[in-house]
Amino acid sequence: MAELGRFALLLGFCLSSYAILADLLGTWRRREELWRSGRNATIACLACLTVAMGVLWTLLVRGEFGVVYVAEHTGRALPFVYKLTALWAGAAGSLLLWLWLQSGFVVLAFSAADQETGRFCAHARTIANLVAVFFFCVLIFDKDPFGVSVTTPPDGAGLNPLLQHPAMALHPPTLFVGYAAFAIPFAWTFATLRSNEPDGAPALFELARNWSLLAWMFLTIGIGLGAWWAYEELGWGGYWAWDPVENSSLIPWLTATALLHCGRTYRARTEIATWFMVLSLVTFSLCIFGTFLTRYGLVTSVHAFPEPGLGMLFLVLLAHIWVLAGLLFFRWYRRARTTRDSVGSGLRFIVLNNWLMVLLAFVILTGTLFPFLSGLFTDNQISLQSGYFTKITAPGGLALLLLLGVCPHLWRHGLDTSWRTLGAVLVALVDLALWLLTRNLALVCLVSCLFVGLNLSVDVARQRRRGTRWYGTRVVHLGVMLVFVGMAGSGGYDLEEQVALRPGQRTEIGKFELAYDDLGVDHGPNFTAVTANVAVYRNQRKVDELAPSLAFYSQSGQRTSEVDIRRTLLGDLYLALTEVDNATRLITLTIYTKPLINWIWIGMLLSVLGTALVIGAVVTNGRPVPSGPVCEER
Amino acid sequence: MKTKTMVKALAGILVIGGGLGYFMYQTMQSSWAYYYSVDDFSTTSPAAHEYSFRLAGRVKPGSVQRDLENVTLRFTLAGAESELPVQYQGVVPDNFVENREVVVEGRLAAAGVFHADNLMTRCESKYQAKVE
Repeated sequence: MAELGRFALLLGFCLSSYAILADLLGTWRRREELWRSGRNATIACLACLTVAMGVLWTLLVRGEFGVVYVAEHTGRALPFVYKLTALWAGAAGSLLLWLWLQSGFVVLAFSAADQETGRFCAHARTIANLVAVFFFCVLIFDKDPFGVSVTTPPDGAGLNPLLQHPAMALHPPTLFVGYAAFAIPFAWTFATLRSNEPDGAPALFELARNWSLLAWMFLTIGIGLGAWWAYEELGWGGYWAWDPVENSSLIPWLTATALLHCGRTYRARTEIATWFMVLSLVTFSLCIFGTFLTRYGLVTSVHAFPEPGLGMLFLVLLAHIWVLAGLLFFRWYRRARTTRDSVGSGLRFIVLNNWLMVLLAFVILTGTLFPFLSGLFTDNQISLQSGYFTKITAPGGLALLLLLGVCPHLWRHGLDTSWRTLGAVLVALVDLALWLLTRNLALVCLVSCLFVGLNLSVDVARQRRRGTRWYGTRVVHLGVMLVFVGMAGSGGYDLEEQVALRPGQRTEIGKFELAYDDLGVDHGPNFTAVTANVAVYRNQRKVDELAPSLAFYSQSGQRTSEVDIRRTLLGDLYLALTEVDNATRLITLTIYTKPLINWIWIGMLLSVLGTALVIGAVVTNGRPVPSGPVCEER
Repeated sequence: MKTKTMVKALAGILVIGGGLGYFMYQTMQSSWAYYYSVDDFSTTSPAAHEYSFRLAGRVKPGSVQRDLENVTLRFTLAGAESELPVQYQGVVPDNFVENREVVVEGRLAAAGVFHADNLMTRCESKYQAKVE
């Protein structure tokens, strides 16, 4: 069975390589039958990958522990659903999933073979297949999902109980859908640069824009699910720790956000067009780099210099992409008719927005790579504590927040003397003063949010032409603002306490009083679970009962903590059972209050829904892309 | 005209880049922690008490003490050759078990005990162990 999977991968590799040759030759000699053949090979490659996916899933479900990947990520006792999701539990399966998704998307987007767009699609397929060939190399020679061990172990290692959570089951594939979908604007950019049309709107721009919207939406869902899982499952009351794994998904998200703003205002042959192309290259490169970074332990490893092995292939791939892109850009610039003087005063703020996003991505990337970079110059790595990221991203983040409030106005009117422009300046000054006086970042953020909220409502009240697309964008912006509200509330006004309690004892936190009643003990087949019953009082009135628990697994010695949370829109009361003494019934509780935190989840949900609205609107009645460098104020 | 624009652009880049670089350096300095394995960490050097450190090692089997009354966890962080007692108050990650590779962040206190404010374990499925 595993042999079939390996064979499918090898065949896919050959087909992909053949498609590159056929498409290259076809576009060079302008031979239609050649690029038709390239397209068919790409479709056949997708079929091979589908077979490989099917084989891996079958192996996982049937529990064939002779295959190393299956033995490492599943076990006999694992529920069926988690056997399915084990496909993306490790590096090999994740890369296979990414490659499969990417091939599928490329076939969906660039299958046209007619005279008009066929050549353009062949250009796009060439670069997409080039990336695919690199992935195939890594899958075949390094991270082989179908590798067989000499002896068949009786049972697999199982899946870490921490990861057995619906959010964690869905988090990787949503991220990979996002990453893989960014291959479409990426390939589109290469095709545009190569086809080198002298003027006018490049072919299929709508395609690149719509796929980047879709990719952004999935990336947002993925990041949201990851944050939610961390909050629900890890028991430290937070949702974001600036861990390299988290950062590696946030960095492309930032550049992708800038990409969307350029897609919205795209005009052929303008500075925005250049931005769009560069950002699509950067975003996809960052997706690949982030995966390399975390899956190959460049940063997280204890050892100063891990052996990246064939993971280095990813760096080789990125180097190729950038050299190639550089050369093509050089040619494109030399032939470009007009690229300057086309940014209208409204568009200037889109450019400012881009710069801020890119700058944020850059400082987060530097911080993430810092242990590795410092290791190159000193004997010992220096790592940055999470405080660095919070401090360094705060000014840029707040500037973006303010811009979000006034940008739709500035976009139409430029810098004028209306209350909104002056208000933004005033709020910025108030923010600065508040920061200098109180050093309270959360307060500064909430003040800005208030201003942004006001602006958003004024926008909605004044809008005459009410299209779905316009509303979708507002919903996304509202969502982002609410995320900021949640971050400020839960980050700046939270309380944390660790207490040891005996049955009958009480403790206070904020406005709440907690009474620990007693311990419930539950014996399972391979674990013992204890639950602390805690009554919650507010103003002497009992408002809730919480039951955080702790399970001890006898076999592995591992424990899993199940937190219990009292959720309200104003804030959460979060209880984690940290330690238990079964004999004396003494417990240690970690208690957090997290004001406004639920607005983060609501905001993220709104952002996703808003993006879905926009996608729906542009797919059903896509506005044609204006050609030419005309860029007047709207 | 053209050189003037160039000079302006250069000056702009210098000012903005310099400002950003300075801000980054400042922020980094306030939150950097030297990353050592327990073996390379020398408790006797004067610098050991001065800075924040991030230390990597294994949880020595049999060394874990959970003091419930004072909400404190004590254990010994062991490397290949040397060991270091660690004291930590806070949420203990679920997969903190004996022999697990962990990373602690904090400072060395007077008695030669490392006071950690942060305790991290390696999550198997996210950070795969190196195959020897």
